[in-house]
Amino acid sequence: MNATTISSSDLSGLAADLLAARVRVAGPARASDGTVEYRHAGAPAELVLDSGVPRRSLKEFFLPPTEPLFAWRTGAGGRVELLEAPLPADPAVVIGARPCDAAGIEALDKVMGWDYRDEPWFARREATTIVSLACAGFDRSCMCTSVGLAPDTTKGSDLLLVPIGGGAFRAEVVTAKGARLVAAYPARFRPASGEAEAEAFRKAAREKVAASAPPAADPLRPWLDAHFDHPLWREASLRCHGCGACAAVCPTCHCFDIVDEPETVGTGVRRRNWDTCQTPRFTIHASGHNPKNDQPARIRQRVLHKIVIYPKKFGEMLCTGCGRCSRACPGGMDLPEVLARIAALAGGAQ
Amino acid sequence: MEGTATATGFEPRITAFVCNWCTYTGADLAGTSRLQMAANTRIVRLPCTGRIDPAFVIKAFERGADGVIVSGCHPADCHYTAGNYHARRRFAVLRELLSFMGVDERRVTFSWVSASEGAKWRDVVNGAVERVRECGPFESYRALAGGV
Amino acid sequence: MTELRELAKKLLAEGAAKVVIGWEEGPRGVRPAFATDAAAADRLVFDARCAHDLAPYLDRRRVHVAKLGRPAVVVKPCDARAVAGLIRETQVKREDVVLVGVRCGGVLADPEAGGTLSADTIADRCRTCDSRETALADHVVGTPVEPLAAPSRRDARVAELDAMTPAQRWAFWQGELARCTRCNACRQVCPLCYCDRCMADKTQPQWIESSPHGRGNLSWHLLRAIHLAGRCVDCGECERACPSGIPLGLITRKVASVVADRFGHKPGDDPAVPSPIGTWRSDDPQEFIL
Repeated sequence: MNATTISSSDLSGLAADLLAARVRVAGPARASDGTVEYRHAGAPAELVLDSGVPRRSLKEFFLPPTEPLFAWRTGAGGRVELLEAPLPADPAVVIGARPCDAAGIEALDKVMGWDYRDEPWFARREATTIVSLACAGFDRSCMCTSVGLAPDTTKGSDLLLVPIGGGAFRAEVVTAKGARLVAAYPARFRPASGEAEAEAFRKAAREKVAASAPPAADPLRPWLDAHFDHPLWREASLRCHGCGACAAVCPTCHCFDIVDEPETVGTGVRRRNWDTCQTPRFTIHASGHNPKNDQPARIRQRVLHKIVIYPKKFGEMLCTGCGRCSRACPGGMDLPEVLARIAALAGGAQ
Repeated sequence: MEGTATATGFEPRITAFVCNWCTYTGADLAGTSRLQMAANTRIVRLPCTGRIDPAFVIKAFERGADGVIVSGCHPADCHYTAGNYHARRRFAVLRELLSFMGVDERRVTFSWVSASEGAKWRDVVNGAVERVRECGPFESYRALAGGV
Repeated sequence: MTELRELAKKLLAEGAAKVVIGWEEGPRGVRPAFATDAAAADRLVFDARCAHDLAPYLDRRRVHVAKLGRPAVVVKPCDARAVAGLIRETQVKREDVVLVGVRCGGVLADPEAGGTLSADTIADRCRTCDSRETALADHVVGTPVEPLAAPSRRDARVAELDAMTPAQRWAFWQGELARCTRCNACRQVCPLCYCDRCMADKTQPQWIESSPHGRGNLSWHLLRAIHLAGRCVDCGECERACPSGIPLGLITRKVASVVADRFGHKPGDDPAVPSPIGTWRSDDPQEFIL
């Protein structure tokens, strides 16, 4: 793998170079309440690397919470004219993405390009370069190692930065896009160094996460397939409030709703908005029948979609183990705990 | 509904939610009495101020109204005995809440106008138009949604 | 703690309750617990980390909780105010629930971080709460506690906002509400948001746009605040639950102060006291009405 080295001051300089070249730069930054969120930065100093897991994931840069698809206008003779939203093509670089967030974006490429190619998604994907920062393992809700990933996974990243001490990073070039970024700003990069330090960092991080993460989720699939109506779902969802906080912060929850919003008489905008399977409204039929009529069914849906349904269809897990759902849940639901419970049940059944 | 800034100045568009029994009749009286008043209001007639949900006011702003008037029967005159008393509490809260969230208080006018107070209706409307004129167009609420 | 656990076990053993809804240690600090047997009752805890309001679990729409049977709920004074609200608004019958009151000196601003309760660490809403135990409960446990004297930062912030121009307040709230994704966590955790069909979910007419753009977000938070006027018990759950960190407590606090100033009403734990919006006095102030 092609590698290079960059110091933190050069990383800052790279952000400045990009901003000067009118490239949008995004990354973790402080919100008004002091917590960290991914945000477009106006200046390199706003970026705060490795200061915790940003409140929400990276997905909103590719699938915004709301985006206009087209506007309509009733013209002469009652003819309806459509004005399509321009495809987002502004070049952008994300600096300091967490590897679990970058991995989520790549996982979503599958569903976004499956039976229909989601044009806004891929327009943003193509215009955006993701520079991830290898994670040291954040807290006990981290479980990337349980879903086939690692705190230093390169999946979804174009460039992966690994700390090698002294404020420097070993930058591993993962994709051609990453190589183009390095080539475009050669003054910011130095010859590769710190291979041993980088390897030590990665090994320590993997061990740290694995120490508290639940058992691997992959082998749980047969049990989950065979126990659709297990009482586990009822017990596990008692404390669930049925809010969508988990989906809002999730790097891979991607369900959306499409709405037509009138502006004036004869004009309006069609938009797509984030949605969540945790509310009754998500599945209710026009007849009033709701196939997912209680919270246990909705919780089961969320877990199965991530661990069984998506992998069966697309060959990969729809969870990157970032742990945000556990951190955000106002009811104290905990995915690692649920998976550990399932693993225990599955172990007992065999 | 939208206010238009023209060469001759800004003409506010004001949505007036009024009760059927007092203010609507009072406004009718203002008309039949040929009273001259600003032509900036569009009246929405409802049975009672008690029926005027705060959501109506919010919706009017959302759709581009520059100002809103809510008007009904004087205390003790409600056709349904207490609708206006209920409304008074609700709108006292709505008014301060809107202001807290950044909507200029001058954009919302509340009044009691009886069926015989055609002249008062004229004054309420003229006053509201002047206050909203001072504030300028309120495009910012509608524009919050952005376009394509 | 022993007192709470023993009481829970007694309630379960005697059949007074089929489930005791309280708090237990979870993977990330304490969390809501549903104890249906003695072993689970022995895991119940109460301390300053127990910020969660458990009253929402009495919502009739939570059929899977209701299936557990007659509930006993552990309530802090603010939670008891929420239960009183549900009784007042005929959502819960008093005789259908056992209330276990806990004496409360306030909860931590950051329950997950843990630590001891002090003037620095106490949640802001608890700084202005003068209720140490509830009169609504069937049982009260815990030792009497003294309130902590700590100035309310939230009230100071509300006063700062009040002193701004409307344009400045508009800019402030647009900055905050821009982060809202309409995940509905604020609504779902609210003990008084129990409507079977929320106004925000209606589409004909669509009173509140479901899009999380500035317009839909402002309308949603305005309507939410209006619907909670005089009903909000200041349990702080909306702000705690918000995954985007929006200071929703500023809005509910502002509305509560308007209700207190104008109507002399503070939400309490007596279900017989009517909600201020829904009642009236002929001499209510009307200086704002022409």
